[in-house]
Amino acid sequence: MSKHAAINRFGRSANPAFTKNFTSSFDSIPISERMTLDGAVNKTGILLGLCFAGAFVGWNIPVLAIPSAIIGLILALVTIFRSPSKAGSTAPLYALVQGIFLGGITLMFESQFDGIAIQAIGLTFGILASLLVCYKSGLILPTENFRLMLGAAIGGIMILYLINFVMSFFGSTLSFLTSNSLMSIGFSFAIIAVASFTLVLDFDFIEEGAEKGMPKYMEWYGAFSLMVTLIWLYLEILRLLAKIRSR
Amino acid sequence: MNSIVFGLLAVLSLYAFFKLAKVKASSKQLNRNNRINRFGDKNSDNIIEGESEEVVEDNDDK
Repeated sequence: MSKHAAINRFGRSANPAFTKNFTSSFDSIPISERMTLDGAVNKTGILLGLCFAGAFVGWNIPVLAIPSAIIGLILALVTIFRSPSKAGSTAPLYALVQGIFLGGITLMFESQFDGIAIQAIGLTFGILASLLVCYKSGLILPTENFRLMLGAAIGGIMILYLINFVMSFFGSTLSFLTSNSLMSIGFSFAIIAVASFTLVLDFDFIEEGAEKGMPKYMEWYGAFSLMVTLIWLYLEILRLLAKIRSR
Repeated sequence: MNSIVFGLLAVLSLYAFFKLAKVKASSKQLNRNNRINRFGDKNSDNIIEGESEEVVEDNDDK
């Protein structure tokens, strides 16, 4: 019996979920309203500019750091889970408030370790550029397994952060996360490696979105995801440098 | 001196990022069959449109 017997017997389905027009609905988007590489990169530039502006405010008014971190977390969760299509309005706000948080936290580290901020900024952008070269040249090829492994690693790290956060209320912490022991420094290197490889997934997301002509708002969403990873990477580098210099 | 080196690294890296990010990735990156498929394949045709072919093993069933 033919594998197409059902179609031969009952005819083609009228269910719109199974029609070609549905599966390729993005074809109907006008070219001017599709995501492009240029657009996503320009929007990343805007978000970086806003982040630096926010950092200037946070550096000068460090008491705003903690409220900004909370607002930033809420904005990130809203953008990811509620309305990716509204990323055009939430992503700039997220970059601004996270900038204020980073400014405050950087001032705190800088007051303890002179020159640590510029080192962390240099290393963050250095990793960003070198991984972009690796991605564009095809030296690193992200696959579904690569994404699954990174997802599992990020999930594990987030659980550890959460446990550490809860423990801190009882006057205790996970020493391999917070101390300046060799194990803690090694663990920080591993987290930085995971954060760095997450950048590759962000590059691939933007490249694929532009290639498949996703809607324009995905430019903002791609830039937002790149910012989230960059901010995480910067904070981890800052912590690693502080651990090394406090030894 | 340390600050100048890391400051230069930051500026040059940002410049490289904004220049390179607008360039399309290499064919080695784009033309492979194990890429992550987040948005579905808009060029794929499905069986209902009648563009797929009968597989040879079907002949054994007759």
